Amino acid sequence: MTAMDPTEVFRQEASELFEVLEGALLDLGQCPDDRELVDSAFRALHTIKGSGAMFGFDKVASFTHEFETAFDRVRRGEIKPTQELISVALAAKDYIRALIEDPQSTDDIIGEAILDDLKRFVSSDQPSAPVAEIAEARPLAPGESRQAGWHLYLDFESHILRNGSNPLDLLEDLCKLGPCFVVPVTDGVPFLDEMDPEDCYLKWDVKLHATCDKDAIDDVFMFVQDEMKLTLSPLEQVEARAPAPLFQLLDEEPAPPVETVAQMMAPAAAVAPPLAAKPERKAEVASEPKSDIKSETAPARREEAKQERGIATVRVQAERLDELMARVGELVIAQARLTQLASAGSDLSIKMIAEEIERLASSLRDTTMGARMVPIGSLFGRFRRLVHDLSRDLSKPVEFVTSGEDTELDKTMIECLADPLVHLIRNAIDHGIEDTATRAAHGKTEQGRIELAAVHSGAQVLVTVKDNGGGLNTARIRAKAEEQGLIATGAALSDHEVHQFLFHPGFSTAQTISALSGRGVGMDVVKRTIENMRGSIDLSTKPTQGTTVTLRLPLTLAIIEGLLIRVGEGRYIIPLSAVEECIELTAEDERSCGRNFLNVRGNLVPFLRLREIMSASGTPDRHQKTIIISTGETHVGLVADQIIGSHQTVIKSLSKLHSDVTMFSGATILGDGTAALILDVAQLVALAQAQTEKQISEAA
Amino acid sequence: MNDGLAGVQQSGAMQVVMIGLGEEKFALDAGLVREIIDPVLVTKVAGARTFVPSVINVRGNVIPLADLRIRFGMPQTDASADTRIVVIEIQIDNEPVLVGVTADKVYEVTEISQTDVQQTPRVGMHWKPEFIRFITKWREEFVIVPNMERILN
Repeated sequence: MTAMDPTEVFRQEASELFEVLEGALLDLGQCPDDRELVDSAFRALHTIKGSGAMFGFDKVASFTHEFETAFDRVRRGEIKPTQELISVALAAKDYIRALIEDPQSTDDIIGEAILDDLKRFVSSDQPSAPVAEIAEARPLAPGESRQAGWHLYLDFESHILRNGSNPLDLLEDLCKLGPCFVVPVTDGVPFLDEMDPEDCYLKWDVKLHATCDKDAIDDVFMFVQDEMKLTLSPLEQVEARAPAPLFQLLDEEPAPPVETVAQMMAPAAAVAPPLAAKPERKAEVASEPKSDIKSETAPARREEAKQERGIATVRVQAERLDELMARVGELVIAQARLTQLASAGSDLSIKMIAEEIERLASSLRDTTMGARMVPIGSLFGRFRRLVHDLSRDLSKPVEFVTSGEDTELDKTMIECLADPLVHLIRNAIDHGIEDTATRAAHGKTEQGRIELAAVHSGAQVLVTVKDNGGGLNTARIRAKAEEQGLIATGAALSDHEVHQFLFHPGFSTAQTISALSGRGVGMDVVKRTIENMRGSIDLSTKPTQGTTVTLRLPLTLAIIEGLLIRVGEGRYIIPLSAVEECIELTAEDERSCGRNFLNVRGNLVPFLRLREIMSASGTPDRHQKTIIISTGETHVGLVADQIIGSHQTVIKSLSKLHSDVTMFSGATILGDGTAALILDVAQLVALAQAQTEKQISEAA
Repeated sequence: MNDGLAGVQQSGAMQVVMIGLGEEKFALDAGLVREIIDPVLVTKVAGARTFVPSVINVRGNVIPLADLRIRFGMPQTDASADTRIVVIEIQIDNEPVLVGVTADKVYEVTEISQTDVQQTPRVGMHWKPEFIRFITKWREEFVIVPNMERILN
């Protein structure tokens, strides 16, 4: 195992926790009554504090502690999370992040200012009679309100002391929750000569008289829950005490049980065994918002622990995955060669092995690609903050709706998508969504709406950014294009073609340049980034109803399903995702010279002769085949000599010496070891269009 | 050209791979050469510039195959038993790029010395002077040390 810097582990873990925290805080702005969200935010904070202290980030720990203390009142339902409070909490989160990532860049003063703000919010609506408040807040958590405390039975595993945990410390923590009546159960204590001084034989029976919820108790045993059986049941009402004095006890912050373990933990932080896996466990708990377990018995708890272990994750460096993918790519190529050799021969046993290997290679390929897949939700989460901030800065209330968060995409692509999506969302809020007055004039709701969605569509993933703003101003784009000399005045262009100018470098119709947009850099970068990923971008807009930008992306960057065709001597790959159907070119179509159109079930489909485009030598085959491809909205037929079949295509990029050849998006290696080029159908069609236009203008 | 000369003078002797193209002999800086392989099946790239007409598969990488004869205006000859592909690594936009170069013959790896360096003549040349780092003498023959970066960019 590679030794990892424990601090680095903490940083990684913390950055995940920040995402959880930010997500929870933002959600809380939407539905302030959701207890789950408060708890999940609180758990994230608690874990940051605990691990921070463990790894020597004392400032982080102490600031987070203050933050937590203030936020605890929200948790206890005493105050409602208002928008202002959320904003301060987000600022506090940013400050903690800065403390962890770049402590030099921050100043204690900032932290103090944030804390002051936080305290002001928290205390400003502090009611004079908190007890009454509590009594009111309690009904929020039904089932718990009637009970006066908990009956706990603690059964630690005998080796718990060896891991550095001290049951007495835990009991002490428990006592901070409220008055406890603790009885040790000595049944398990053996005779002296059988006793191992390092084992724990005692069990405890505890009656906790406090109105705290189950989570508070779980928090105490968070670190040892794998190594103990905790039996929890509510205490009878009869034993209830008056709630007033309990509240004071509650106010005491339970000290995190971390410190005692910290010294033991530090050297072993990166190694796996149960205790050291603690941070990950906690992260899981924190990211899994629903950890509400009804007073359950020990076996159920075990069961759950087991399940959590089942979906446990392993951190792997991205480079290792890349390397694995490259190896699998080579294996697929080698396997294709083997299959070709085997099918040429007559040895049955070799054929069987080749088939077996083909099956294995393809499942290995799928697994490897799956390992690189990341749900796009991790990316979407980042934009909620962006929308929140933009909507505040521009004073345009915006509702941000995401869907399809669990759609998976190649990790590299997720990273590449971040910047384009930032541009698109900014554009949507800055240009798309009108100000409130204009919206009211159009009879729309005051609050604008941005939808960010991801959905699978065949071998592609569609990511859409949709706003319900004013839509694109086609006339203005056109005027600007004419002004910049991109088109002749009055040229006949479809709206769709006019909108394409938005992707032109340096093109902006914004009358004023704002801090956010209007400089005309952006959309061209978006387009280039998407095309670099072999994706495409579609725009559709309706005046006063809004604009939808659709990004079409391949599932992965490394391997695609392709259709292998032959044109003259050369063989080419057409991405299968673009192929609609294959038909034979009839003699009647063949004859035509002036019009290159096919009649496909009544639809007019133009076709291109690949032989001409590839300047293939030799005589064409008698029966030419047409592959109908779709690119965006258009369908085009590509005429080839032969369709060889489908092909697992490992994509190799072309070198810089061929960067001027846009027709091909890359190359692959065929079974016989030769290279075949992958057609970039969108570029091919665009190229043919330009050529046709040139021919027409020459003819005229 | 002058920087090319300076480089040689500093380092003294220079290791080169001597290749034949048509009637001429070219000396490729041995530091650039990655490997020399037998001819393989090439894949034509439609629409590419004439001096990089095709790509080949070299150990699982698809690399461009350059034809220097076209750059130097020499007639193309059919492949013979002596034909080889010299794989070199050059810098394009500060990134290393592998390129295959077709050679009619590969002679040997040898050393050329700075003392034999000749000024590139300003007249009597069919070739663009920027393609040539310098001309030197090797076994009583003039050999050209080409500037591969310039030729291929």
